[in-house]
Amino acid sequence: MYITSTGIFLPGPSVAVEEVENILGAVHGKPSSLRVQIQKANKIQTRHYAIDENQQTTHSNTEMAANAAEQCLDRAFIGREKVGMLAVASTQGDLPAPGMASMVQAELELPEIEILTTHGICSSSIMALKAAWNSMRLEEHEAALVVSSELASRLLKKQRYEAATTSTFATKRIDFSTEFLRWMLSDGAGALLLQNKPAPKGLSLRIDWIRAFSHAHALPTCMSVGSAGRNEDKRTWQDYNTYAEAEKDGALLLRQDVRLLENLMRMGVDGYLRLVDEGVSNPSKVDHFLCHYSSHHFRNKILELLDRAGVGIPEEKWWTNLYTRGNTGSASLFIMLDEFLRTDEVTIKEGESVLCFVPESGRFNTTYVHLTVVSQ
Amino acid sequence: MKNGEIKIETELEHEIEVDEVSEGLNPHAQICLQHLLRVWLGFERDLAKVPLLRRIDLGTYTAEDHQLFLLNIRQQVIEGSRWITRTASSFDRDHAEIRSTVISHAVDEHRDYEMLEKDFVASGGRLEDILSMERNIGSEALHGFLMHKSSQPNPIDLLGAMWIIEGLGEKMATSWAERIQELTGLGKDSTRFMTYHGHNDSEHMERFYATLDSVCTDEKAIQRIVKTAKVVARLYRLQLEELEQSGE
Repeated sequence: MYITSTGIFLPGPSVAVEEVENILGAVHGKPSSLRVQIQKANKIQTRHYAIDENQQTTHSNTEMAANAAEQCLDRAFIGREKVGMLAVASTQGDLPAPGMASMVQAELELPEIEILTTHGICSSSIMALKAAWNSMRLEEHEAALVVSSELASRLLKKQRYEAATTSTFATKRIDFSTEFLRWMLSDGAGALLLQNKPAPKGLSLRIDWIRAFSHAHALPTCMSVGSAGRNEDKRTWQDYNTYAEAEKDGALLLRQDVRLLENLMRMGVDGYLRLVDEGVSNPSKVDHFLCHYSSHHFRNKILELLDRAGVGIPEEKWWTNLYTRGNTGSASLFIMLDEFLRTDEVTIKEGESVLCFVPESGRFNTTYVHLTVVSQ
Repeated sequence: MKNGEIKIETELEHEIEVDEVSEGLNPHAQICLQHLLRVWLGFERDLAKVPLLRRIDLGTYTAEDHQLFLLNIRQQVIEGSRWITRTASSFDRDHAEIRSTVISHAVDEHRDYEMLEKDFVASGGRLEDILSMERNIGSEALHGFLMHKSSQPNPIDLLGAMWIIEGLGEKMATSWAERIQELTGLGKDSTRFMTYHGHNDSEHMERFYATLDSVCTDEKAIQRIVKTAKVVARLYRLQLEELEQSGE
């Protein structure tokens, strides 16, 4: 099975670091005291938002997904009637129900196809990709479309924080865990077309394997929406009498427990070593490494240890467009693959192998995709 | 051999190709380190499930928790110097280099427990309580296993034990000590054992890699070292799981 076409959609203009707060809005008119620090740490230079500077939505999540899918289908060498399955991933669709794939299908006007919506955070796109790939392997379809789209800015706009009047954000002088992702995430969509044969022209990516390991059984929740972020309070957003109360208490704010984040890198390395141990992955044969997190997040002893153990991946093999396209959650890898195939920054040759790694901090799911560059 | 690829059989009977790095570990030691890393990462993840340590993650760890922790870990620290010295005496003259390394390691650590006792008192505990504390069930098992292993001739597999215990020392220093002070309001004098131990450990790790490179030269050695690391990780976790049972 092969990835034969890709497409992306990045809403609005490219937004520079110092313009971000103009779009998301300064909470209560006061500039954030954490913004610069967090932006420096994540090193993202430009990003896109599907809201304008009045925090009004310019594109729905469904529209973004459909736009990326349209571009992907327009670039494909097959007619859209060949697409038998549509798998869609997002952290939060426009509607809590039905599944986002229904809405994207309607937008694309694809008749009578099989649909799948995967729900999660960053790794949900890999779940969708794996399910579509498996359907293809069962020979149920000739072609499948996998789309991932994120509209995080709706969660990050100033009004969300201003309404959370009794939340940890309102009561603490600095609430790092509630603000961290505000300066991290942005919007965008990516799409991949899977086919049972390579494209007749240009390069395709053969899917060799997709593996995933979740550690939710052992580790606490690290990134979430839906609770007030207090250990003693077990209520989730739907347990409040009204949604207004949930919002006031901060149960609808996006949170990241930054202290736990280091576990993500560790579990990522564990899964990687497991695949090496099983003989599935061969580090010396990886030509390109596409990682949802950039290497500076791993700059600690664990990378040195991997080198020492003879399984490190040299820095020159890492490639990412996170710094210019932003961290678009589950859509990141698809947006990365699209540009990877087109950029002049790297030379891609037939027969080369591409290892992709998408870790999800939500509750520590680590996912790996191995591709080989092919042409017909 | 500098730039070549070496193929060796692993216990799973598939071939792993290892690129040799100049001045790096030998290929068997590299494979061993890969396995040890996984044992460590699994151990570390499973520690997050131990109730008392989970409270460090969740931010609900108290000064009483810290006392309980120190109270229970002291016996293992005392016994630690015993199995290390026993290990040194079990190496024959063909292993004189390792014996020297192990002896100097033992000298570094054999009175660490005194620091731990002071930390306990600084955390609000009574000296007589920690002095009269018995080994908990996990400490018994861990100590028994380590004394048994260290009594075997040329016990190179104890590198697996050192890997886990040194790793934990570093984790205490880098991840726990400051967080514990922050959560409990206790001063730096309550976590000296954790921080001091961590400082020393980076030197210990360099010695560890050198020793691993010299003794881990075949498949059998990999298996012995990794298995011992797994047993120690499991028994160490048992010791920490038993903390809260100890007072009953």
